[in-house]
Amino acid sequence: MADFAIDARQLVKKFPARPGTGDKKAEDSPAPKRRLFARKEPKTMFTAVNGVDLQIERGEIFGLLGPNGAGKSTTIRMLCTLLEPTSGTAQVNGFDIVKQANDVRRSLGTVLAGERSIYWKLTGRENLEYFAALYHIPADVAKKRVDELIERMELKDRSNELVEKYSTGMRQRIAIAKALLARPPILLLDEPTLGLDPQAARRVRELIAELKQEGHTILLTTHYMEEADQLSDRIGIIDTGKVIALDTPEGLKRRIDQQEVIRLELTGWHDELAEKLKSIAGIENLTTRQQGEADLWEVNMHAQNSRTALPRIVESISGNGTRLVNMNIVKPSLEDVFIHLTGKALRD
Amino acid sequence: MEASLPVSLGQRGFGADLRALWAVMRREWVIFTRYPSWVIALFIWPVIFPMLYILTARALAGPDGSGMAVFMEITGASDFIGYIVIGTTVWMWQNIVLWDVGFSLRNEQMRGTLESNWLSPTWRFSYLLGHTGPQVVSMFMFFSITALEFGLMFGVRLNGSVWMILLTALAAIPSIYGLGFAFASLVITVKEANAFVFLIRGMVMIFCGITFPISLLPGWMQSIAKWLPQTYLIHGMREAAFSNAGIRELAPDLIPLLLFGTFWLVVGYFTFLWMERRARRTGAIGQY
Repeated sequence: MADFAIDARQLVKKFPARPGTGDKKAEDSPAPKRRLFARKEPKTMFTAVNGVDLQIERGEIFGLLGPNGAGKSTTIRMLCTLLEPTSGTAQVNGFDIVKQANDVRRSLGTVLAGERSIYWKLTGRENLEYFAALYHIPADVAKKRVDELIERMELKDRSNELVEKYSTGMRQRIAIAKALLARPPILLLDEPTLGLDPQAARRVRELIAELKQEGHTILLTTHYMEEADQLSDRIGIIDTGKVIALDTPEGLKRRIDQQEVIRLELTGWHDELAEKLKSIAGIENLTTRQQGEADLWEVNMHAQNSRTALPRIVESISGNGTRLVNMNIVKPSLEDVFIHLTGKALRD
Repeated sequence: MEASLPVSLGQRGFGADLRALWAVMRREWVIFTRYPSWVIALFIWPVIFPMLYILTARALAGPDGSGMAVFMEITGASDFIGYIVIGTTVWMWQNIVLWDVGFSLRNEQMRGTLESNWLSPTWRFSYLLGHTGPQVVSMFMFFSITALEFGLMFGVRLNGSVWMILLTALAAIPSIYGLGFAFASLVITVKEANAFVFLIRGMVMIFCGITFPISLLPGWMQSIAKWLPQTYLIHGMREAAFSNAGIRELAPDLIPLLLFGTFWLVVGYFTFLWMERRARRTGAIGQY
């Protein structure tokens, strides 16, 4: 059997559902008659992760992509032992996530909840010293390691200030340093660049690439397609609790290279126009995104043959207060693959 | 792979867990001192709450204070202020533990740090135990400040042995904090537990005789009082503070305190284990 850094087989996680959010099958079943003193009926369950298989090689960066609620965070929370799977098994660094949870935690550095995962009333240095003790690093080793990480995160001048005075990017760097403290072989990074300004995000991406060079295995979840594309050796796309595609970024893009992506920029967007465009033969996966505050919209759609579709698109747009500002035919990106597979944009 | 695989720097063993526990205590203390309002409250609260009862007692004693003699006779106390201060201080101790230790995990959860703590290989009960250490220290500061303030302002003198007072307080720690542990685990499960705090502190206020002897209560209420460790704590503290009672005289209070303490520590620990297991199944610790 291959020695994977992370090896998850048929992971399933179900939660008791809030009213109106349970699994369809359970909700459709007729409500049982209530009898006095009868045993309480089992709660309707919501399946957050539905049979996820992941085999992550040692030393690779594996990107896990999915829209909100797809099951990414639940999968990560199971792998880092915060959650117990309802069924299925997973091993992290060769340790079972249920039976050897403490060994799993020793093998992992995890960034969850970013800047909220550290103490704002402690300094950056105090945070790292505290977490070093929690990860059972001997005091003399911890001191050197904290100094080393503060230096590496470029926080030397601010390390003795309270974290509450830090910028979001600095807090995120402390959160990442915390994950690196024990020099764990495997890193789970859940949205490590969320909320960061472009410069800070670029620095974090550079750091992730460096960590791979140092031999760390990295499981990365992100909302940013470019980030996943740039960093990941392989990408798993997860939707409604299932991994629906798993390949290298290039391999995923090849899946739709028969298609073209028509990108429009226009003003005066309205729902009626969306219906018109969707009705054009050969057009699918239409998505829109408003550009900032102005009435400028980016519309993307996949076409089997743009030459035949374009005249009809232009015809549909004309009139009704809509003005075409720009039009391009572009090479499919990872985001287009995602839309093709899930029918929705990553930020939906 | 070009690079050699990283090797974890973490160690195993009881010593490593002890160092982690110490780190939790140290963190808690440092954060406590960074909120000056908490430190100021340490000086104000010991006086404010007992004053309500002291002034009420003076008013009820009548213009010539004649009612006070009746109160002294019923309670057997030589100093009515000292009698009230002991009862109200114990009530405040339990109240502060419920709000502080009881909400410690919940506060961590809302801050977002509970998960990051639980991601480490440290024994998870350490976070509750570690929170308790500085809390106990701050409570002993609270008691000392109470004694000092009432000594200076109202001339209250502790005639008994300080060691016996300390011993009685130490014997009460397992019950007071065991209840706090159980409470902390319930709060993180139900998220909102103010009503429970009001219920428990209300029971202590009514049944344990914080400002009156429980002999004044109807029989059924006295029966309930016997099942509350705070009853023995208040009685034992009064004996230790205002008489020359030694261990032998205090034993009727110390033994039940230790028995209740064992019970509540076990309940507290197993409630925590139950909550921790439930949280892994339901994802409760990640929910705000």
